Amino acid sequence: MPDLKTEEMVVQMGPQHPATHGVLRLEITTDGEIVKKIDPHIGYLHRCFEKHCEVLNYHQIIPFVDRCDYLAAMNNEHGYVMAVEKLLDIELPPRVEYIRVIMSELNRIASHLVALGTFGLDIGAITPFLFTFRDREKILDLFEMTSGARLLYNYIWIGGVAFDLPNGFVEKCFEFIDYFLPKLKEYDDLLSYNKIFIARTAKVAIIPPAVAIEWGITGPNLRASGVDWDLRRDEPYSIYDKFDWDVIVADGRVGVLGDSWSRYYVRVLEMEQSANIVKQALEGLPSDENVKSAVPRKVKTKEGSVFFRSENPRGELGFYIISDGSDIPHRLKMRSPAFCNLSAISDIGEGLLISDLVALLGSIDIVLGEIDR
Amino acid sequence: MLTDIAIIITKIMIVIGGTFTAVAYLILAERKVAGFVQERYGPNRVGIWGLLQPIADGVKTMLKEDITPAKANRIIYHLAPAMVLAPALVTFAVVPFGSGIDAFGRHIAFQIADINIGILFIFAITSIGVYGVVLGGWSSNNKYSLLGGVRSSAQMISYELALGLSVVGILLLTGSLRLNDIVEAQIGMWNVFRQPVAFMIFLVAVFAETNRLPFDLAESEQELIAGYHIEYSGFKYSMFMLGEYSNIITASALIVTLFFGGWTVPFIDVTKLGHLGAFLSVVSFAVKTGFFLFLYLWVRWTLPRFRYDQLMHLGWKILLPLALLNLLFTAAWITYV
Amino acid sequence: MESFVFYIFAFMVVAGGWVVIYSNNLIYSAFSLLFTFVGLAGLYGLLMADFIAATQILIYAGGVLILLLFGIMLTARKTSIEITQSNLPRLPGAIISSLIFLLLMVVIFSEPNWNSATNPGVKETVPVIGKLLMTKYLIPFELASILLLAALIGSVFIARREDS
Repeated sequence: MPDLKTEEMVVQMGPQHPATHGVLRLEITTDGEIVKKIDPHIGYLHRCFEKHCEVLNYHQIIPFVDRCDYLAAMNNEHGYVMAVEKLLDIELPPRVEYIRVIMSELNRIASHLVALGTFGLDIGAITPFLFTFRDREKILDLFEMTSGARLLYNYIWIGGVAFDLPNGFVEKCFEFIDYFLPKLKEYDDLLSYNKIFIARTAKVAIIPPAVAIEWGITGPNLRASGVDWDLRRDEPYSIYDKFDWDVIVADGRVGVLGDSWSRYYVRVLEMEQSANIVKQALEGLPSDENVKSAVPRKVKTKEGSVFFRSENPRGELGFYIISDGSDIPHRLKMRSPAFCNLSAISDIGEGLLISDLVALLGSIDIVLGEIDR
Repeated sequence: MLTDIAIIITKIMIVIGGTFTAVAYLILAERKVAGFVQERYGPNRVGIWGLLQPIADGVKTMLKEDITPAKANRIIYHLAPAMVLAPALVTFAVVPFGSGIDAFGRHIAFQIADINIGILFIFAITSIGVYGVVLGGWSSNNKYSLLGGVRSSAQMISYELALGLSVVGILLLTGSLRLNDIVEAQIGMWNVFRQPVAFMIFLVAVFAETNRLPFDLAESEQELIAGYHIEYSGFKYSMFMLGEYSNIITASALIVTLFFGGWTVPFIDVTKLGHLGAFLSVVSFAVKTGFFLFLYLWVRWTLPRFRYDQLMHLGWKILLPLALLNLLFTAAWITYV
Repeated sequence: MESFVFYIFAFMVVAGGWVVIYSNNLIYSAFSLLFTFVGLAGLYGLLMADFIAATQILIYAGGVLILLLFGIMLTARKTSIEITQSNLPRLPGAIISSLIFLLLMVVIFSEPNWNSATNPGVKETVPVIGKLLMTKYLIPFELASILLLAALIGSVFIARREDS
């Protein structure tokens, strides 16, 4: 039977699919269970973020920035606010910088916790997800204490922060760090070094360093490929150069560099470093100052443009702002890390099994709110 | 004659009713154990400790809209859930769940049918259980459910081999296919100590047979969304669930019967104790089965899932040769030692 | 009682077989073959051939038929053509099947003492079958195993060759 050959099947993965972490749609052509071609379709969550920015003043944009990467709202605010401050040349009170770093790093931990939990869920481990959410809850409590909100904070303002730290925050935060660091061991026991988990993720969906750089992959995904690059250290902004911490680079200890397991484990180790930074920042926190002293009543920019990038939990978050001198940006462009990270999957994902594609998608940790904007 | 029929009908009713109640509370237990493992409460709104939750669940699934996909193959689509549930219930017919009592002038065995080929009967009926899964997956006219159906049937067929071969060692030791003979041969010494390798193979294979984590590829949520029962809703869906959980109960009962002495009680000869002994034997059987049910839940909430090719690799290249070696060794042992 | 059960199983076998032959939908054909197999197993059970009954279900219903269904399901969906079947060569079919029927009848009636429900010859069939397979019928048994092994290796070989 020479003319009888296996036909390829087109499967729509998403927009309502548990493994796409939101409303991503992958049109995959499969031969049996092997993925031949991936066509990602995005835009289901498109909210015209950049167009909105052209009619809102600089202060009003902050809540919109929150909603881009809703899992790391503090980091987004921090990046955006620093871009505007670069445009305005504002000197900040040191306490503000410390509070911002504490918030950003706490949010980085929270965001990585979601990434780990959902990745475990993608591999079929249900319990780690609830464990990570249990710990994330404690961070959200801290945020709620400070800003009043649990997900979208609108806390970091241009030139300052919305409120000073409440009474008892420092103690509670120390308490959290002491609680959290031993929990990392629990994740290792339950998930990271589980044989089945390693079999499912190690040496699966490898992104070699050259390919990672080519596609503009940043953040933990880049470091998982063995590229030693972290903006917090290599292009220090805020007060990150004051702290003693390490940039985590994967060493491919159970598989090879750039596999799904490395992408997962880089995040686990990064949480430890973030916790260290928070601890140092809490110890060095300057005493009471007015955290709103540098907040401009009305933002008056000079004409010109500015680009600023910062390290978001997902990678390099860049803001390019063109100003015409008014208090409304003429044009704002956001370079979102998850978008660039996701763009590599049609290249990396070819030839994988469907299960491995799920592992790849889970390990690059996308947030559709930021990809679609 | 009439008494015989009455006794048989009573036994059937007890077993079916018992299985259904056990299934309902197994689902509750699953959610409670999940809550315990994950440091949360689990269901606690309906009744004390959520004890009435199974009833609420049952009512809920019955009242849900029963959806049939537009291009589904209607006959097979409606038939498939029954084809999962029926074999799952039938298998329990030959499992002895107690030593039996003397009443009405005869010996009443705690077992619906004491047939000579008990173990073969169980394998035969479980092999029929694949049909519901395959046909349900196919007839829904959905690519994901088709993939799920194909995956799970291939998985069940592959692991049946290792499952069957691992038991043959026990059959060699006992010299009978009757489950009651196998149980009685274990008085004093459980098979798990005589055939530890067979027990490990059987345990793994039985997890795969029942499509549970870490082998739940048929319904792996993150890949196939729900697998073969993706299009089912309402009571048909709960029939799939009932089938799945009855299978788990049967599997646990089978592990106990084959490897852990069935209804026997360690250090006590229950057959000489009359009614008290019969009661003790049922309790012993229930406790042992309960432990393995808990093991099922425990494993589910701890481990991640295998990939399909890893599953096949484990089944064909590790468990099957191991089972054959074990069989060879057992046969040599019986012949020469 | 016995005959009532017999007629149920016999009806299953005949009705299943009828659908197998006359249905245009290949899936229905394969599916109703299941009822034929189960009915046959029931008949074996009535004849006190419990071992044969169980293996009938285990091998035919649980193994062979599932593979048939597999093939039909995957091909029917993939090419998006409803696979139908037709039974055109009826006359040769009728001749062949009646010849086989005659042959079977001759064999059946030339052997006088069959086991039946009222006359169970052996209580436990399994030990007897096992002993016979290992002594009297050892050579046919081994030949069948070798044939199956050859078929297994051959099919793997064919499947592999298409890969490369």
